[in-house]
Amino acid sequence: MAAGALLAGAVAVTPLVYLLIRTAEAGWERVAEELLTTRVALLASRSLLLAAVVTTACLVLGAGTAYLVVRTDLPGRRFFGVLAALPLAVPTYVAGFCWIAAVDAFEGFWAAALLLTLCSYPYVYLPVAAALAGADPAQEEVARSLGHGPWRTLTGVTLRQIRPAVAAGGLLVALYVLSDFGAVSLTRFHTFTVAIFTAVDLGFDKTGALVLSTVLVVLTVALLAGEMATRRRGARYARVGSGARHQAPQRKLGAWRWPLAGALSGVAFLSLGVPALSLAQRMIEGVSRADPLGEVAVAAGNSLRVSALGAALSVLLALPVGLYAVRGSGWLPGLLERVSYAGHGLPGLVIGLSLVAFGVHVVYPLYQTTTMLALAYAVLFLPLAVGSVHAAAAQAPPGLEEVARSLGRTPWSVFRTVTIPLTAPGIATGAALVMLTCMKELAATLMLRPTGMDTLATELWTQTSAGAYAGAAPYAALLVALSAIPTWLLVRGNYRELS
Amino acid sequence: MSSLEVRELRKAFGQVTALDTVTLGVPEGELAAVLGPSGCGKTTLLRCLAGFTTVDSGRILVGGRDVTALPPEKRRIAVVPQEGALFPHLDVAANVAYGLPRADRRGGRAAEVLELVGLAGYGRRMPHELSGGQQQRVAVARALAPRPPLVLLDEPFSALDAGLRAELRRDIRAALRADGATAVLVTHDQGEAMSMADRIAVMRGGRIVQSGPPADVYGTPADAWVAGFVGEAVLLPAEVRAGQALTALGKVPCPAPDTAAATVLIRPEQVELAGEGVAATVEREDFFGHDALLLLRLDDGTALSARVLGGMPRRVPGERVALRVRGEARLLG
Amino acid sequence: MRTPRVLAAAVTAVTALALAACGSGSGKEATAEPSPAGDGKITIYSGRTEKLIKPLIENFEKASGVKVEVRYDDTAKLAAQLLEEGGKTKADLYFAQDAGGLGAVAKAGLFAALPKDVTSKVPAEYRAANDQWVGVTGRSRVLVYNSDLVQAADLPKTVFDLKDPRWKGKIGIAPTNGSFQSFVTAIRVSQGDDAAKAFLKNLKDNDVQSRSGNALIVEDVNSGKLAAGLVNHYYVYEKAKEKGTTPDGLKAKLHFFRGGDPGALVNVAGVGVLKQAAKDPDVRKFVDYLLSADGQKYFAEQTYEYPLVAGVATAPGLPSLKDLNPPKVDLNDLDSLQQTIAIIKGSGLVP
Repeated sequence: MAAGALLAGAVAVTPLVYLLIRTAEAGWERVAEELLTTRVALLASRSLLLAAVVTTACLVLGAGTAYLVVRTDLPGRRFFGVLAALPLAVPTYVAGFCWIAAVDAFEGFWAAALLLTLCSYPYVYLPVAAALAGADPAQEEVARSLGHGPWRTLTGVTLRQIRPAVAAGGLLVALYVLSDFGAVSLTRFHTFTVAIFTAVDLGFDKTGALVLSTVLVVLTVALLAGEMATRRRGARYARVGSGARHQAPQRKLGAWRWPLAGALSGVAFLSLGVPALSLAQRMIEGVSRADPLGEVAVAAGNSLRVSALGAALSVLLALPVGLYAVRGSGWLPGLLERVSYAGHGLPGLVIGLSLVAFGVHVVYPLYQTTTMLALAYAVLFLPLAVGSVHAAAAQAPPGLEEVARSLGRTPWSVFRTVTIPLTAPGIATGAALVMLTCMKELAATLMLRPTGMDTLATELWTQTSAGAYAGAAPYAALLVALSAIPTWLLVRGNYRELS
Repeated sequence: MSSLEVRELRKAFGQVTALDTVTLGVPEGELAAVLGPSGCGKTTLLRCLAGFTTVDSGRILVGGRDVTALPPEKRRIAVVPQEGALFPHLDVAANVAYGLPRADRRGGRAAEVLELVGLAGYGRRMPHELSGGQQQRVAVARALAPRPPLVLLDEPFSALDAGLRAELRRDIRAALRADGATAVLVTHDQGEAMSMADRIAVMRGGRIVQSGPPADVYGTPADAWVAGFVGEAVLLPAEVRAGQALTALGKVPCPAPDTAAATVLIRPEQVELAGEGVAATVEREDFFGHDALLLLRLDDGTALSARVLGGMPRRVPGERVALRVRGEARLLG
Repeated sequence: MRTPRVLAAAVTAVTALALAACGSGSGKEATAEPSPAGDGKITIYSGRTEKLIKPLIENFEKASGVKVEVRYDDTAKLAAQLLEEGGKTKADLYFAQDAGGLGAVAKAGLFAALPKDVTSKVPAEYRAANDQWVGVTGRSRVLVYNSDLVQAADLPKTVFDLKDPRWKGKIGIAPTNGSFQSFVTAIRVSQGDDAAKAFLKNLKDNDVQSRSGNALIVEDVNSGKLAAGLVNHYYVYEKAKEKGTTPDGLKAKLHFFRGGDPGALVNVAGVGVLKQAAKDPDVRKFVDYLLSADGQKYFAEQTYEYPLVAGVATAPGLPSLKDLNPPKVDLNDLDSLQQTIAIIKGSGLVP
């Protein structure tokens, strides 16, 4: 397990090693010249500010939606439960494109913040909904019986119970904001990632771009450290002791039922309705020829294949990391889990370049194969899978594995017959989440795909970059429709908890 | 079935010594209880026996076979953990059959052990459909199924309510006997240890401080600490002369060599309220129904307790009584 | 020393694992030395979009029997990728949107010089002085304007007029775009660095609107969100095509600057051949095809760019290349390019 986790950690730090090598090659003079400027400070503070605002908004929106869906008598809560996860299927570059077309002067900080919030709040909603459904209501009842009001119970007990889920979701959102290019470039809000892309676009300045990227690494480390610091040492949030857990009571919303349902509908309209309407309008207006069905089908097939492969590889690497984090002792398991986030805060462009270097210099036969692409996906999205596996493994007590071994089963047999079945729902969740994200990924896909292979995302890019919006629409629609399948897998788990 | 032999086991976690030269023998077919307070090392001992934790030195032999260096799955030592240790994704039959060789999983052994623990016909149930007591029965059946030379029980009844516990203890003891299993029960509950075990090993601070049949440990504790841990104890300073202990309760027979200053043990059930004897004041009565424990103070300030049968008139604090001792006092080392 | 060993072990294991996960893997086999005889297959890294050149490539495949694999991405990102790949690239040919991308790859010494009989087909100002790359088509910088918002009589005579307050907040530019960068270089070469700095500063002070690409500017000009913008000429044709109309049917109109104004710079899209493919006859066939009458005609008619080889007509409605009056700029001048970038970065128009 430790070896597997180390391996996954090694995969995750590949881009860091690459950045380190290239930065060292650039020389300190160049590094200082690039980094020790007010421009860098300004960009970094912009990125951080955007990350802070979007993360806060996502926490409120994601956790609030989760609470309404799981713990209240909101009308149509199951319907909203699915709707709230679907924005994951909308890439920021598609959403941004649609918003710009629909709203005049859709640009600047708040436009970027709105876009990113609408696209990434499911990262908070999903884990928090699962945590709320699984949290022990007895603790809340005790708090109420000790004289705490509903509000104090919510903040003092419920929020504490779901804190790990909230923190994990918030961390994903923050890192996502750091690395996103689609939303910020379209809304013309100049963040660090835009600067990195600009260095390449404007001056063909790869080295400058990579040196700049080291700042994103620093910001990522700072975020990870910040999240760790908010975590109390050795705190346990699960229930202690035995006795059956019972269903949490539903909060009666009373007069708020319909206004809140209306608010959720509004969010769904902004996150899903606007892009859908805008795409539809483009489709009607444009006459550019949509590609023949066969070509669309091939792209869809490729998308599914490489994303599934990426998801499988990510889960394979995430399993030891997640299990080790729960089962192992000492500082190493926690460190390796953190390390798995390394690639998540970096733009796909940098991950792409680092794996180009890795492919060309280390594993040349794999270069520009689907395997390499799957590896890039694993580097980018490992934390999504690790988080799910970790949560699932925490639910499966280690005592079970010991008992199984004492009954004469080998570690491998125990892993197969106990660990895997118990963590399977978490593994499936992680796989679905990674697959969804892989389908949307563009920058690394363009750089690492086998030459000549098109996916839905690359076709969408091809069409829109030539201004062929009508031709792009079927790809966009199919991308969202196919992404809805893993999304459904994700919410189904929560569904079961609700029923 | 075979015996367990533990020789000079040592285990330290950093600076903390968890097991300090532990030696223990359990004859074939017997149930030994390892009894001790929290943190005494008994759980570490169990984990070392099972192979979940490696030992620093010493040897573990099961039926003469050295298993010290073997991984858990090679030891053939089954474990019944405290609680919640059924595989939640498997039904009762599959849980019980988990440790059986593949060929035997469909055979009658699973049904046989289920019947042994009183759960015949429960095979198709899922763990969450069972009560806590039933779950522990299944856990015992699962441990017995592959006929392991040794079964380890880790406080298996601690999570259950009192009434259920007594019944389950009897049934599990019977099941272990019926299957001829050698077993080690780890517990902090002296009642559990006394009622189930053929022999008791009392642990403290990583050492086994006394071991022997329950009656011996109770009747002849090695020291004051053991005396207090395995039951209520009245410890009195005494001078032993010519087989008599001179105590605050008067002369009590004491089969021991003469000693000028010693401590002797009297059990509360030996202290009787009589018409005449040493005067004492009732400080408190702890009423249990079938009996009651009186906390008393002699006029010289010595505190002690007496067990009186239920049905006697209730005593109120401040009441004056006279005390007499039945049987012998034990000299403690 | 421990870490590298762990890493190496990890890397090996990942590889094995990935191989296992993927079976035999896919993609073509790596061939260190492409056979000089030609294997009937070439690989192109194309910064030009698939939409535009796919039919051309299909025509070439039909005509030559050579199988073409194309990797599409942004010109700049492909340049970065080529620089990272170095000599181990799988590309035979790099087809870039602009001279800057070609220059960056040429500077890294990755291109082989093209034969004189190839480069001589194209006027000297549209190819590399050392024959490392050759232009295939030309694109002129223009002012695109909305005919409802701007009267033809009010059009600026030179780009420098855009600092006039009446254009405040109404002009769109794409400052991160390669073609904008060449355009700034043109200002520097013709008027000096200070003029370029002043020009950008004036634009910024006049609340110029930045877009991430030329297509977005044309879109906003056509819809009236912007009055005018600085773009390449053919984007208007692309927009018309998407709308199912002709450029005449759009509100967005073209205005060509005159008199050698830097705003009328003509940039190129062009190709360079990677060193290891220098002797590949199939690659040579493709370059020849691009510069043939068929190839040039395709670009003139389908992408509305300027053919660079003599004897091929430009698209109807466009002034001919000869009638354009572009400034004299050396598209090869890479050191000059770095200076341009420094000025653009310093302007505050880009992050």
